[in-house]
Amino acid sequence: MSTEEILVGAVAYDAKVVPIWDGIRAHFREEGVAMDFALFSNYERQVDELLAGHIDVAWNTPLAHVRVQKRTEGRSRSLGMRDSDRDFHAKVIVRKDAGISSLEGLAGKTLAVGSRDSTQARILPLHFLKEAGIDVTQVKQLAFDTDLGKHGDTGTSELDVLTALKDGRAQAGVVGDLIWVLEQAAGRIDTSVLEPLWTTPGFDHCMFDALPTLAEPKVQAFQRGLFAMKWENPKHRRILELEGLKEWLPAREAGYASLRAALDAIDYW
Amino acid sequence: MTDTPAAIAVDTGDLPLGGGLLAIVRPALDRLAHGGVLAVLSSSRAARDDLSTWCRIERHEHSCLTDENGRDRHLITRGALGVPRGVREHDVTLPQRVDPLTGRPRITSADVLAAAPFPARADRSTGLAPRGARVEPGGPEYPFALVERDRVAPPEVAQLFDQATSSQWDASRDIPWGDVRPLHPALEAAIGQVMTFLAENELSALYVPSRFIARIHPAYAEVAMFLATQMADEARHIDVFLKRARAAGGGLGVSSATSSRSLLSLFDPEDFTEASFLLSVLGEGTFLDLLRYVEEHAPDAATAEIARRTRVDEARHVHFGVAHVRHALSTDEALHRRLEDAVRRRAATLHDLASVPAPIHDALTVLAAGSDEPRAIARGHERYRALLDDMHEGRIKRLITAGFSPEQAQALSDLHTPNFM
Repeated sequence: MSTEEILVGAVAYDAKVVPIWDGIRAHFREEGVAMDFALFSNYERQVDELLAGHIDVAWNTPLAHVRVQKRTEGRSRSLGMRDSDRDFHAKVIVRKDAGISSLEGLAGKTLAVGSRDSTQARILPLHFLKEAGIDVTQVKQLAFDTDLGKHGDTGTSELDVLTALKDGRAQAGVVGDLIWVLEQAAGRIDTSVLEPLWTTPGFDHCMFDALPTLAEPKVQAFQRGLFAMKWENPKHRRILELEGLKEWLPAREAGYASLRAALDAIDYW
Repeated sequence: MTDTPAAIAVDTGDLPLGGGLLAIVRPALDRLAHGGVLAVLSSSRAARDDLSTWCRIERHEHSCLTDENGRDRHLITRGALGVPRGVREHDVTLPQRVDPLTGRPRITSADVLAAAPFPARADRSTGLAPRGARVEPGGPEYPFALVERDRVAPPEVAQLFDQATSSQWDASRDIPWGDVRPLHPALEAAIGQVMTFLAENELSALYVPSRFIARIHPAYAEVAMFLATQMADEARHIDVFLKRARAAGGGLGVSSATSSRSLLSLFDPEDFTEASFLLSVLGEGTFLDLLRYVEEHAPDAATAEIARRTRVDEARHVHFGVAHVRHALSTDEALHRRLEDAVRRRAATLHDLASVPAPIHDALTVLAAGSDEPRAIARGHERYRALLDDMHEGRIKRLITAGFSPEQAQALSDLHTPNFM
């Protein structure tokens, strides 16, 4: 690995990841920051390669982020996140004809859930339901373990949950609030059939992680390049739209405590 | 009421976010500037959190209070991202003018242009947005080369577009084809040759403007729209000329290498004003005299009507070309020289073209003669010589109208191609 060049790892959860990172690399170069990227097929591999020092920075899901922090004993560096990564929520959506008017009403019903490594469609909603006093063993789970290793990035399992609800294979389901609102805004949800029942407490999502040993000039160069991307710039906007954000923001750590507690509880580190 | 209110209130009833609420909220937010406040009264429980999430995605600030009746009052402060650039059009009501022929009301393009005038310069990042639309930032830059009003858009263009659209005719129906009778074979062959030459020249007038339409910034769309009518005119002319050539057994004549070389040189200019000058002012201008000659000597009413109708259309193209060049010359002193140079360059590439191509020379002579009888041919030859003088005088007049001095006009007309177009 070049001593000058910053090597960023990202997971190829979709074909669009290539134009996203080609575009970000071109932008960094215009900003005078030498950067290249390496794509991984899953977050477990990416985290291993970061910890082995084979990449400088990893673009991580919340699950990968807290795992990096645990494995570095809290010494890893968090370099930035999307505006859309802050204040994420999960939603419990129900069929209006299922007669579920409270969380207690989920007992005995079928609850569609996303991939077991998806923070927003499985890990945290089930955790928050338990915290709210719901015995989830009394709920029949219909699980969509699609794209394991991608930590729910593809959104496929959340769309599977919505489809199962629409088709009546489940009476309730959990998805992230982002996909719930974006699907509604695009006119793809029949609100005469589905309605939200409950919103979880907030949590934060993806993060750029680096090892504590990453040289300070590289940290600064990376952040300078990242935060120079602007929504009003047509070239940047295309990349930002693909990556699902309007603005890169500084890192904050407060939004990951619930995920750590959930992983402790289900022993999923 | 001002154009951009500081605050607006809307009632969305019990609509959920995915059930139509956004169709009220988004247009209301669109009326606000960055920092403006939208109050949304809602009795949808589902919308309570969903609207908050939507505002987070769209980067608007959001807060929500529930009143004593259980209705939610959302306050949304418009964020800075995605606010369109430009001023919202308001109080635009186009005048309706009574058409003197039909008595029905008309809305003209000239009035549209008066209500939304051409900007002096256009911005490539507004893409294909119509003039007057507000434009969301972040769109791509389009490769339009023609972005200056004074180089592209004479003020007369909207009026000419109105004229063009109301003057369209049908080459199948509007020509008295029933009057076409078999002529003396020599005369029919001459008609076939003249029509071949006219169609070939009109093909150049179809293709040359097409090269420029995609370079014109949509802020000057009327120019592209006018050129589109010009191309539709040329298409109809090509069609009608070829129909006449084949209407009575004459068939097509010869395409001469001389004509072909002359027309190819019309494709050289990369500058719109130069191309318009060579094609419309000099070429189509000269064509007006040729079409008048064909009309005058037409052996039947159909041929005369074809020449008359096409000449009326061509006069509009010449009018646009002259207006374009005159407007550009009045704002750019160096343009005289560039246009002269364009004519000289074209003349230099065609320096060995000494005279009118023989097939068209002979056909025009026979057409005016009305037969191949020698005394008639002598008369036809005199008429043909007079045509060349008429063309020269007509060119000088048009060049002076466009803004050249009489001396410049004389010199430029002398350099014009003997191929007419």
